[in-house]
Formats: sequence, C-alpha cells, structure tokens
Amino acid sequence: MAEQPGAHGRTGATSSPTAPASPTNEASTDASLNARVKTPHRRPWAWIAVAAVAVVAVVIGIIAIVNRPATQQAGRRDTVTIGLKLAPTNLDIRNQSGSALDQILIGNVYEGLVARDENNQVVPALAASWEESADGLTYTFHLNEGMSFSNGDELNADDVVWSIQELVGKQYHDASSLTNFGSITAVDPNTVELRLSAPNSNLLWTLAGRCGLVFDQDAEYDMKTEAIGSGPYLVSEFRANDSITLKANPNYWGEHRAATETVVVRYFTDDNAAVNALASGDVQVLAPISENLAGQFADDPDHYTVQAGDGTDKYVLAFNGAGEHTSDPRIRQAIRYAIDHEELIASRGGADAPLGGPIPSLDPGYEDLTDLYPHDVDKALELMAEAGYGPDNPLTLRLEYSNTYGTDLGDQLRSQLAQIGIDLQVEVVEFSTWLQDVYTNKDYDLSLVDHNESHDFYQWADPEYYYNYDNPEVQSLYAQALAATDDAARDDLLRQAARMVSEDAPADWLFNYRITTAWVNGVEGFPVNLNQTQLPLWNLAYESE
Amino acid sequence: MKAAIGYAATVLRSMWRHAGGRFPLVVLGLWAAISVVSLFWTPQPLMRTDGYHTWQSPSAEHWLGTDGTGADVFSWLMAGSRTDLLIVILTVLVAAALGLLFVAAMVSRHTALAGASVVVVDALISIPTVLIALVLAVPMGASIAVIVIACGFGYGLNLARVARPQALLAAQSDYVESAVSNGASGAYVFFRHIVPNILPVMLVQLSLSAGTAVLAESGLTYLGVGVPSGTPSWGHSLATTVRFITVYPLTVLWPGLVVTVAVVALNLFGDALRDAIDPVTNPELRRAAGATRMEEDGHGR
Repeated sequence: MAEQPGAHGRTGATSSPTAPASPTNEASTDASLNARVKTPHRRPWAWIAVAAVAVVAVVIGIIAIVNRPATQQAGRRDTVTIGLKLAPTNLDIRNQSGSALDQILIGNVYEGLVARDENNQVVPALAASWEESADGLTYTFHLNEGMSFSNGDELNADDVVWSIQELVGKQYHDASSLTNFGSITAVDPNTVELRLSAPNSNLLWTLAGRCGLVFDQDAEYDMKTEAIGSGPYLVSEFRANDSITLKANPNYWGEHRAATETVVVRYFTDDNAAVNALASGDVQVLAPISENLAGQFADDPDHYTVQAGDGTDKYVLAFNGAGEHTSDPRIRQAIRYAIDHEELIASRGGADAPLGGPIPSLDPGYEDLTDLYPHDVDKALELMAEAGYGPDNPLTLRLEYSNTYGTDLGDQLRSQLAQIGIDLQVEVVEFSTWLQDVYTNKDYDLSLVDHNESHDFYQWADPEYYYNYDNPEVQSLYAQALAATDDAARDDLLRQAARMVSEDAPADWLFNYRITTAWVNGVEGFPVNLNQTQLPLWNLAYESE
Repeated sequence: MKAAIGYAATVLRSMWRHAGGRFPLVVLGLWAAISVVSLFWTPQPLMRTDGYHTWQSPSAEHWLGTDGTGADVFSWLMAGSRTDLLIVILTVLVAAALGLLFVAAMVSRHTALAGASVVVVDALISIPTVLIALVLAVPMGASIAVIVIACGFGYGLNLARVARPQALLAAQSDYVESAVSNGASGAYVFFRHIVPNILPVMLVQLSLSAGTAVLAESGLTYLGVGVPSGTPSWGHSLATTVRFITVYPLTVLWPGLVVTVAVVALNLFGDALRDAIDPVTNPELRRAAGATRMEEDGHGR
C-alpha cells in the first residue's frame, strides 16, 4: 500500500487527502493506461440527439399553436372576456396615473358630468344639458333626475360639487388640466354652476376625463381595490396587473344599462399570449393587437373581424430645439424630407395614418399637413449640403427612445437617414431613463415617443417643454384659441398654430398610430375608436352562431 | 516552438478522430471564417431596411428572408457571428482571469485569506448573472461590456468553485510541499503546479461558459441590456423576430438554430479538448511524448 502523505491537511480542505488505492507501483504502460481510457464518444452523441429532439419538439409546438382551432359554442353569452394590454396596478383613479384606469373605469364604473363619444366629441352623461355664458366664464350644468350610485346613495348636485372641490383642493391626478378654474356651486339639487377666472375652450372636453368624475361623498371604501360609482358596471373582482371582473350594476339609473351581465377584462403584456388567447377562444375581443399579428385573424373573416380605429396617438420624432446641430432648421427640415413615412407605415402592416403636424384627425384644429414635407431625398441632401454635411461627411446624431416601442423604428430611421449623410446612433433605453434624459434634462438630439393624449397642443406653446420649441406666435395663437368662446374660432386658431409648428419642423410626426382591434364574429358594440383611452362597455354583447 | 506546433497538431488530430470533436471543430472553424468574411462582405448591405418587403420568405435575393424592418436575415446573422465571437472570447478571458484569481485566493497559504475568500465566493455565486447585468446596465446602458463583465464575473466564480477541490489536492501534495521548502514563491507554485492540475476542469468549465455566454447574449439583448441597437448579433436577430413567432415562425427559427448549434459546439469542444490533452485518455499524446523524449534522449528502445 502507498504511504500516507504528509499530514498537513490545511484549513478549508474539503476532504483530507487520503492516498488512492493504487493497484501497482510499477511504471504505467500504454496497455494499462488504455484499459483506463474513458470513452468520450457516447456523451456528445447523446447531446446531439437531445438537441435534435428539442428542436423538433419546438417546431412541432409552434405548428400546433399556430394551427390550434378556435372553439365556438352557440348561444347568447352572459359573460364576455376581453383582452387588453396595459394593466392598472390599483383602482385609485384619483391618485394613480396611467391611461389603463381611464380606459376601464370611466363610463363603466365611474361617470363624469359629460362624456366623449367615439369621435372625441363631448356628449351628455350625468349632466343632461349645459349652457355656456357669452363671456365663456360660467357653465351651468343641468343634471339628470333620479340618479344614484351603485350602493343606493342618491347622486345629486352636492356630490358633483364635492367631487370637483376635492379634486382641486387635494390636487388629485390631472387636476392641473382644469385650467382657469374659479369655483363650483350647487344652485339646486339638479343644477351646478362652474365659474372660470378666464375662458377655457377645453373645459368640457377636460370634464369628460378624470376631472369631471363624480364620487359618492358618503361612501367609505378602499379606492385602491374597490370602486363605487354610478356607472352601468360594478367592479366585482380586481387582481392587480392581471384581470378585472365587471358585473352589471343592478341599481343603474340611466339608459346605458349593461347589455352583458359579466365582462371579464384580462391583461396581456405578451402579444403572443394575447393572440393565442383570442385564437383559442379564451378571450372574444383583443385590443390592441399588433397589425402584423392580426393577419391570421384578418385571413379568417368567417370567424373573426379585424378593424383599425382612429386614435390620437402621435409618434413624435422630436428634434431638440436647443441641440448643437438640431437647432439648425436646415437639418431639421432635411430630416423631415428624408423620412419615408409611407414605408414606415407599410412595414407596420399599413393600418396607421400619415400625420404631417401636431394635431391628429380626432382633435380640434386638424388639417392634413402631410404636403408640407413630402418624402424628397434630393431636397434633403441639398439642405444637408447647405448645413455642411453629406454622405461623405456625415453628421452624427443620437436618437434616444424607450424600449416599449421596440427596436424596429430605430433601425428603419437609421437606414433612411443614412441616405442623406446622418449617422444616427440609436439608444433604446428604459422608459424611466428616457424620462430622465429627455423629458426632464432635455439632454438629447432626437427623441421618439408616442404622445397619445388628445387635446395636447399645449406642448408646442410651452417653451419649457422638452422640445425646447419657442415660437411666440404659436404661443399667442394657442392662448387665443383657449380663450375663444366659439368652437369654430377655436378650431381655426389651432389650425393656424399647427401649420406654423409643422413649418418650423421642431419634430417629425412619423404617423398617427391607429389601434387595431380583433374580435370573434358575434361580438357587438365594442368601440374601435380611441378604445385605449376610454372604453365604454355597456353596449358590448356576444351572441355566437 | 516546433514542439508546441507538434503538440497542437497532435491534439487537433485526436479531436478530429471522434465525431464529438469533429463537430465542434467544424462549427467553430466556420464561425471564425464567417466572422472574418462578414467584415468585408454580406449578401445585402447590413443596415438597409425596406418597409415594403418585410417578413419575406427565403428567396434568391434574401437567402433566409427578411425581418420586420425588411433587413436581410442572413446578412444580420453573418455579421452577428463576429459580435458573438468577440463576446465569447472576451467572456472566457475574463472568466479565466477572475477564476484563477479566486482559486489562488482560496488555496492560499494564508488561512485567513483562504477561509474568507471561500465565504465571499459562496456568497457572490448566489447573485444571478442577469441581475448583475441589469445593475451594470443602469450606468453603462446596453453594451457588449455589460455582457462580458456580468458573464465573466459569474462564470469566473463558478470556475473557481468547481476547480477548488482539485487545486487544493495539488496544493497539499508532496511536490508542492517540497517546492515550498525549496523556497519556491507562491506564484511559481501556483502556475507551475496548481494550474496544470486544474487545467482539464478549467477547459470544460470555460467551454460551458462560452456556450452560456452565447445564450446570455441572446437573453440580455432580449431584455434590452445586451448588445446595443444597430449592432448585429444573434440575440438581436432573435429578439426582433420572436414577437411574431406565431405568425412568422420560420424567421425566428434561423437565429434560434444558429444559437443552438453554436452552444452545442462550444460545450462539446471543451469535452473533446479535455480528452485530447489528457495523456490518460489520449494514447496518441503519450506516443508523441514518448517519441519526443526518445529524440531528446537520443536512443530508442
């Protein structure tokens, strides 16, 4: 036997070294070594086989998923499940930001003084009618009679006054958009008078959002997990970031009585999971669905309907007005001429609309401005040459945008701008990083973001906004538009201002994103326009053949 | 020098003899060749997009079709191979350097340092690589350095942990003891005696790390903290197409296949290399060594 090695096992040894039982002390021969040779052949083949099986399994899985048939059962359903994308983290619509809450709660659970229709026009809701004084400073709202909250409490002028006073007093979310607010008083139980310190032509539209919502001042509930409103639906179950179950409100006071007893809203962060849910019948409606993914449903009109709706999403490629190079109007204009908007839209499936200026078609003051900067590479090259750059002498610019929009747009813009001698460095970052760098610090050359808000022209009249765009004429026109007491005059002023902005080229409007919605045939009454901002579901019904 | 070339040739020849060695050699050879070619030529200009011809099926013009921006998938995969090759090489170097550093600390003759470093390595090894990458991406943004540092760090720790028992056995052996008593320095003992002992384990670990680095590149790029936009990589090709896997499964298949083949090849490479350089498992090496010795000795049997 071999001798024990020196006994100096050190601290930390996993095992004290014991001598291996060596069969022989004589020098090894090839023969004896060969006898101990491991056989390395087997394991690699096993690996290759496993890999091959895995690849085959994945391919079969993909085919199985793609070809999974949609299940259909006949009859009228008392439950409809819809799939949406952005989920609310809690239900506190007074404090929690994010359009997910507006989308699901306004018009369904909570109601406002007024509402918006599918064309973004103001229509009656809790207020049956209203009058505006000639100076535009006093609005008198006549409320419906016999209104109640879902808990049975009566809804009258006191609740309206209390809700708006709370909003302003506690500065709940969005309170700042209620510009020039003076006071609100209850004239009688069915009449409310709102006074402004200066005219605000946006007032009614603003009141159709969060600012005009009416809450029950006597009800005590946890606003983060429950919702007590006057709308046609109740929140019966809320799972943060996952789903909301709405049940018809048995005490509903008005005409928008729920057509379907139960509506389940499921949230899908993953587009493929959402598409699979629609294909397998787990959800009956999907909004939004990416145009590229909608193809499989559009190809099957016997079972599905796919439709794009108008919206106010503007993909704004902003040029920093104070940037080292982007402060030069020739470079900004060159970029606008160089971008082929039709191609961008085609690559996204063709549903989106070209947009030549800051105001989309559903907002007041819209005018088709796409002729101002048509796709013209030669003109762009000329402008770049004037500014001292060209394909042989490229200008490096940095584009920063949030990863929620994917990398495709950056790749396409880089390719298009390379033709006119701009070397575009694309940085796709977390949304919070974009907020910090671009929105807060204004440290950028080019920025891309989807400004989805409606009535948001104020951005171009605010020199402090991240665009660094300062045109006193635009600011004056916008102020006049806000002060206008007549809608036609307001629209005309906004139109002039929008044209002026577009001519200055402080940004390029890549396109007006149109939301695509897909549903199983038999579903009725699901809004297709603007359904990511407000989604009234009272009319939704599903009757399958 | 001549001996080194002869040694390398012997090792390669014995790897080539088995399918498990031939496959990785072919794949890695192709990989290196394509990486070089892509620097000068790709079938289509890399950065050209075409919004009117997105998601095309394979054709004569686009050998593997086009992606969602109309860019040529084959060209991007070709160019991506050089980025991935660079990441793999850098990651392996960082992992090897860090791993050796940790091994040296863990088998150090200073018991306090050895004990402490074992605890530190055990603690650090519990931090996921992805988490390190996400944290690094905050100040650095998406970059190749994030992948290399995160993976190199994580895999270096793993390497140290796996190689430690072998290193410890060597450190406690008689020949180390006698070398030390002869006044050999710590560094000399480490590189002369300990490193050769853990080399087989290291090679297998590093080849596993190389494979995992390719996977990590794909994963981190998908998460947006890996390869920056505009830099071709296999992960980029995967990340941009995977959203539409249900509609265009074929487009996702190509980058997926490339990653799979590369990872399998890297894993097999380590195994084959270990077998080929170990005289116990490779009789050819013993024969060559014997021949060399005979030449040196100047007499045969």
